[in-house]
Amino acid sequence: MALMTDTTAKTDKLSQLSECIDRVAEHRDKAAFAELFDHYAPLIRAYSLAREPGADLVADELVQEVMTRIWLKAEKYNARLANLNTWIFTLARNCRIDYLRRNSRYVTEIDPTDIFNDIEDEGPGPFQMAQQSRVQQNIRAGLEQLPQEQSEILTKVYLEGKSHQQTSEELKLPLGTVKSRVRLALRKLEVLVTR
Amino acid sequence: MDKATNHPYDELLAAYSAGSLPLSQAMCISAHLEHCRDCAQKLQRLNHVGSELMQKLKPSRTSDELKHKLLNMLDSLPEDEPNDEPGRHDPRVPRCLHQFVKHGYDDLNWKRVSADIHSVELCRDSNGAKVELLKIKPGGSATTHTHMGDEYTVILEGSFSDESGLYGQGDFVVKNENDKHTPVATQDRECICLAVTEGPIQFTGFMHRLLNPFIRRSYA
Repeated sequence: MALMTDTTAKTDKLSQLSECIDRVAEHRDKAAFAELFDHYAPLIRAYSLAREPGADLVADELVQEVMTRIWLKAEKYNARLANLNTWIFTLARNCRIDYLRRNSRYVTEIDPTDIFNDIEDEGPGPFQMAQQSRVQQNIRAGLEQLPQEQSEILTKVYLEGKSHQQTSEELKLPLGTVKSRVRLALRKLEVLVTR
Repeated sequence: MDKATNHPYDELLAAYSAGSLPLSQAMCISAHLEHCRDCAQKLQRLNHVGSELMQKLKPSRTSDELKHKLLNMLDSLPEDEPNDEPGRHDPRVPRCLHQFVKHGYDDLNWKRVSADIHSVELCRDSNGAKVELLKIKPGGSATTHTHMGDEYTVILEGSFSDESGLYGQGDFVVKNENDKHTPVATQDRECICLAVTEGPIQFTGFMHRLLNPFIRRSYA
């Protein structure tokens, strides 16, 4: 029962935030933007700190970059294609990739913009999208049930931004074990089924 | 869409979704996604995983100062840059290559590698991996080679076959240092591939073995 209440609360919060993004898109509403900031900025900050603990300035820079993009791209956000949390996760991920590229010791000319942007926005059609919220609930519930050794690896890869190789070195596990734990976790979350 | 039959393995797609993949490999995934609805759908779900993990983080308090600074900036932000106007790029070229292939494949500065193969290097990744396009003439063959690191290939045009099968448009192929292969383009048309090599290719034919020291030097 507690889980149900929690899920309902999260859904309510999300629809409230989705109204905010609509108000930003349609009316350039700063109060709505401030509400989005209050909810997302601390999460974006935590996301940055997960990769670079203690790097507060970097974290604030990422917050500023992502929130700016939210303001500028609000009109392009399409609730039918991804829920707001997922859209903001992809923005934060893209900004972090870009930040790392610009500040890397080894420079590359590869511009991540064309690699990550928009491609995902063209995603599945309306029928598949109707299933997305159920998929997302399964993922949320599934994450709670994952064995610690699997969720640890997803955290390394998704939040700390570690490659499989780095994960294997840090956890002192063979590379093959890292990869198979990622696969096992994704299978449990029912992410890999193709409908 | 839906032409590809060889896909990136799941944990690679997950690393793409997580943003923890070298950009050169991410380019290959991106090129594949344009041809593969199944992987595009998987990616949507993988993004949800990232999203849920992010929501579970313990929020880290942001300063009021940052919030006010940002709110005051909003009116003076430049407009979001418009997407590329349609028609500027050749529709045959995947979006992830627009940066390097401004018009079409024909306008690139192709260099002759052998009688059958031309190549053009697009860039290097920060991990040193080489990103290039390869063009194999109809029925042409790439010399038998092995790899010192992984090689990621996405077929952009045409098709080729090797010891393990036939690959067509959108197919995503990974070869590692244990794989020795001889790709041969099909007779009907030339084959263009995006190729990312992590280390220098090792040619295994007798004559070509003489070339290896020179090729290795170009990676130093």
